[in-house]
Amino acid sequence: MSGEAGPVYDAIRTRRVTRQMDARPVEPADLDRVVRAARYAPNAGNRRLQPVIPVSSPRLLRLLRLVAPGMLPRPAAAAVICIDKRRAAAYGFRSDAPGLFVDVGTTAATMLLAAHAIGLASCPVTSFSRAAVARLLGLDESITPQLIVCLGHAAGVQPPPMAAVGTKGLPPVTR
Amino acid sequence: MEVLAYLITAARTQLDEAAEYAPFRLLTAAQRLAGHMAPHASAPVRQLIATLDSMPPTATPRDRDAYTAKVDEICVALADCLLALYPPAEEE
Repeated sequence: MSGEAGPVYDAIRTRRVTRQMDARPVEPADLDRVVRAARYAPNAGNRRLQPVIPVSSPRLLRLLRLVAPGMLPRPAAAAVICIDKRRAAAYGFRSDAPGLFVDVGTTAATMLLAAHAIGLASCPVTSFSRAAVARLLGLDESITPQLIVCLGHAAGVQPPPMAAVGTKGLPPVTR
Repeated sequence: MEVLAYLITAARTQLDEAAEYAPFRLLTAAQRLAGHMAPHASAPVRQLIATLDSMPPTATPRDRDAYTAKVDEICVALADCLLALYPPAEEE
């Protein structure tokens, strides 16, 4: 089936979550391309209430990992998808309005595919202390971090995928 | 510091994440602690760390029996390590 549906479908089909990354760096231009891809994510009302913060400082990456229990890889770069609560409130959104978080997901999915398209490995992380990450990044209190996209290069050996439940017949998509 | 930070933040993330992640997070913390201990560890501790590290970092208790058996294996390795580190006094 490969190739029949075109390169976009192939990219969707071949992207994997990478939980072990090696020490190869991510070029600044590549990090910029992944972050700019967020601008093309589907977004309700084109409001763009999800700012994306690139992180390339080795020090900050190390500190982020310290407060992110879900961050298994040691990424060479990262992009933190946030919600701008102040701007959301100006549109009349409650801070827990589901649509705000749906758009975090569409932003992340687009960035993961963009990373894959330029040969980078990626791993989304949501298990982290929002409060600690906001402090580390020096964010205004109206900007809340929601999802970290880890970026890097896949190490040769990967942990086994998490066992899927109730998805018999579907291929595992964790690497 | 790494383990301390992990434990504190895991306490917070556990309030929102799946319950199955609880043992997963604890074992990850143990593995990170072991990683710091390993360069200075004695032979029995190195053996324990090897058994601990045989648990894949992505393992969760979705196959509860297999997961329980694996954690029990690590607990047995811990007991063996403790017995080696603290042998019975001669008068016992």
